[in-house]
Amino acid sequence: MNEENIMNEPVDKRYMPEISRKEIDELKTTMKAASEKVIAENIERMKKADPHRPDAMKYFDEISNLFGMRQEEIQAEKEKGKKVIGYMCLFAPTELILAADAIPVRVNSGWYDTSKLGDRVVPVEVCPVIRSTIGAKMIELSPFMEQSDALISVLTCDGMTKLSEILSDYKLIWGMNVPRIKDSTQSLRFWNDEIKQMKTQIEQFTGNKITRKNLKEAIELSHRATKAFRRLQELRKGAPVIMGRDAMLVNQTFLWDDKLRWTEKTEALCDELEKRAQRKDWVCSPDTPRVMITGTPMFWPDNWKLPTLVEESNPQGIIVADEQCSGERILNDPVGVDEWSMDDMLNAIGERYLMASTCPCFTSKNGNQDRINWLLNKVKDWNVQGVVYYVVRGCMLYAMEYTRVKKALDKINIPVYYLDTEYTREDVGQMKTRVEAFLEMLTARVDM
Amino acid sequence: MITVGMDLGTQRVKTVVLKDGAVASRGQALSGFDPTKAAEQAVDEALKVANLKLSDVAYFAATGSAMDMAPYANSTVSMMGADAKAGVYLFPKARTIIDVGAEEARAVKCGDKGIMVDFVVNERCAAGAGVFIEAMARALEVKLEDMGPLALKAERASPINASCVIFGESDVVSLIHRQEPKPEIARAVFDAMADRISSMVHRLGVNPDVVLIGGVAKDEGFVASLNRKLGLTVSIPEYPDYAGALGAALTAATRAKGAQK
Repeated sequence: MNEENIMNEPVDKRYMPEISRKEIDELKTTMKAASEKVIAENIERMKKADPHRPDAMKYFDEISNLFGMRQEEIQAEKEKGKKVIGYMCLFAPTELILAADAIPVRVNSGWYDTSKLGDRVVPVEVCPVIRSTIGAKMIELSPFMEQSDALISVLTCDGMTKLSEILSDYKLIWGMNVPRIKDSTQSLRFWNDEIKQMKTQIEQFTGNKITRKNLKEAIELSHRATKAFRRLQELRKGAPVIMGRDAMLVNQTFLWDDKLRWTEKTEALCDELEKRAQRKDWVCSPDTPRVMITGTPMFWPDNWKLPTLVEESNPQGIIVADEQCSGERILNDPVGVDEWSMDDMLNAIGERYLMASTCPCFTSKNGNQDRINWLLNKVKDWNVQGVVYYVVRGCMLYAMEYTRVKKALDKINIPVYYLDTEYTREDVGQMKTRVEAFLEMLTARVDM
Repeated sequence: MITVGMDLGTQRVKTVVLKDGAVASRGQALSGFDPTKAAEQAVDEALKVANLKLSDVAYFAATGSAMDMAPYANSTVSMMGADAKAGVYLFPKARTIIDVGAEEARAVKCGDKGIMVDFVVNERCAAGAGVFIEAMARALEVKLEDMGPLALKAERASPINASCVIFGESDVVSLIHRQEPKPEIARAVFDAMADRISSMVHRLGVNPDVVLIGGVAKDEGFVASLNRKLGLTVSIPEYPDYAGALGAALTAATRAKGAQK
């Protein structure tokens, strides 16, 4: 990130179309109401799916309301002078944001309806996550996006790269240039420089110095969150004690929740689940086919259609793991600090985001194996019986990497199904046919 | 034991009555706006032919895109699962089953006993399915059933784009404007479909024992194109359009036996 990349003053609208205040207000009212309905329905179905649903889930149900308590809290903090820093990719170093006493929130849109608005700006062939995020900004639908004082945009895929340019019509954007080949010393050095510049940027913007002490505290909080997160995923390795959707919701709420409170609530959930495991009170038969989802990020709330289909299908499946940047990639890897000097901490943050990432935006001369290895490990450790490879139309990197993933999974005799979809509800029927056939196949294999 | 399989497809409902593991009769009706009623009719027809009553049936299983609307159904089976069962029943050595219906094409890979191990569905597009031929026949002002024989007369093919029915149609129109002979255009239509379907099959990995089922298997023009593209001769049962219903009836028989135990 260098000076020229910093677009401080939104100039004329280079991308965004003119849209009247009246249209914004009308669309926002309709779409917000529709979204609140979807959120409530998703939660209702999740409650029904598990008659002994843990009490601790109540908290996450509440936080799942994007228009609810959390946005009010953030608003109150903002009024006291705190800055909100939004981000669109997991590479954004949230520890730095926390250390500067600012609030990090991820702002990618999970709304189907707004992707149609995005079509006014970019062609329909563009990834719907991008189109929907553009549309949400156009009508100010996302509370967290609106509350963001600046956005960190990491230039990973083509969509994210241009999205940051488009959003700069409205917001202060800090681009971070991520190297595409990560396993080289220059790349790490380059990326660590980006991290250091981001530190300066955040300090200047918030007016708060990132000291050794507050950065250490932020990293320690992140460690504790990672520990709680890992404990939850560990509990999904055995006979199922939590529905996949519930665990996925817990993971995803981390993206906008208060980090300390999220950690405490997740710990409480794990306590409950451990007792449940002792009672052998499974959420479904331990013979239920164990499914892992990988591919395009699946943002709350509208993108719950695949997990819902898998877990409500006949025959039923249970999602025991995912490999997505909207899910288990969020917190799996801790910041590995040795000496707690400022330099050491910053380098450790850089490494945690770059080296651990299994984002398909990376390649390397020797064919970066990280994602494949990680997937194979997950299959083994979580006893996965089938993988759904989820791709939205226009998500090129995930679509292209499928062949490689399939070959790797074929070798260990794990079936994988490529499920392509869009930001739409209309294809649920078709998806159901495919998901059911896949689960039927897994069930037959289990019975064999 | 009597079992009935119902395949509630997008255009037609097909039924098969199975008596002690052998096909006793078949029935069909147009799906129309009321697939449930159409299925009742098709079941009725098949039972009549076999001289049976509803109460004689031990188990009903349904498949097809409208399977959730099936009457009498004790359970459902996915279309891919039914394809695999029927394919291996009809041709015991078959390990790849291609099903081309009105609005969907799919390929299923299976193991012994017709257990499906992998499948691919054409991606939310009708260009690899029966309606593509219908649309192109309209553009050529040829009857649907004449498309196949016409294509077989072609000496070569003109390439068209089969990524989409709509674009395919405009490609056909421009071939018509260029006054390409009709047989060649007809063959181009089948070649384009066969191209899409063979790449689907290649994604699963080809093996030499391939079965083609579904209504489109009755179209000799398509079969010729597909054989050329795959470089082999696909096996086609006598009633390819009833294969889904047969698969459901076979599943019904297995499940009925399981229930007896």
